[in-house]
Amino acid sequence: MAELIALYICGVIALFAALRCLIEKDTYLKLPYLNVMNFAVAGIIVLVLNHPLSLLAAVAYFVGSTLEANAIASAKAGGVQND
Amino acid sequence: MEPELLLGLAILIIGAVAAAFPRPKTYLSRIIVLEIPAWGLLLMMLAYDEALALLTFIAVTAISTFVMVRVVERRGEP
Amino acid sequence: MIEFLQVILAVIVLLGAFATALSRDPFNKLIALGVMIGGIMPFIVDRGYLDVAVVVALVAPVTTIFVLTLAWRRDEHGA
Repeated sequence: MAELIALYICGVIALFAALRCLIEKDTYLKLPYLNVMNFAVAGIIVLVLNHPLSLLAAVAYFVGSTLEANAIASAKAGGVQND
Repeated sequence: MEPELLLGLAILIIGAVAAAFPRPKTYLSRIIVLEIPAWGLLLMMLAYDEALALLTFIAVTAISTFVMVRVVERRGEP
Repeated sequence: MIEFLQVILAVIVLLGAFATALSRDPFNKLIALGVMIGGIMPFIVDRGYLDVAVVVALVAPVTTIFVLTLAWRRDEHGA
């Protein structure tokens, strides 16, 4: 039960951040909530399976999702300014 | 019945309907929406335990998206 | 995986799919697609396919960046 509490907290954080990200109107305000949901999902990946290689999967997902969110933010910010 | 199979079927149906009638009728939104049924099909392959099919399908999806982006870029405005 | 987590992740995936289909801006579509992929990833890890999970986590941002070049050019051109 002790390790399940962390899993419940990560699930609630992921659901809240996803709802808040999809409800928000402004595109720039969506991106921090996308990052929050990615962190919660990385925590779920580590906690859901007891395997030494699951840490590697969580690190790969963390790097990839952070790169994706920041690429979207960079393209949205740079595309308008460059015009 | 496994939850992955049901979720994959639901995502596949949503994505197919959305790709048939995209919201702004441009090539860009069609390319983005076309990735939804790909992930639904990946979830269904996951329910049937096909590891090699999963790896191959991920690579083919990425390459086909790259090819479609190049084609739309070469063609110009929709 | 426990039932609570399965229900939460299924809700996240379905909401992401609907938001990707219904939003109009290409950047909002890509953000909703990222939400959907984040919901799918723990299902892959739960079945034990950690190598598939690593490959998916490294290939999905590359696909998004490919589409993003087109979205950036289209945003600069027109709307």
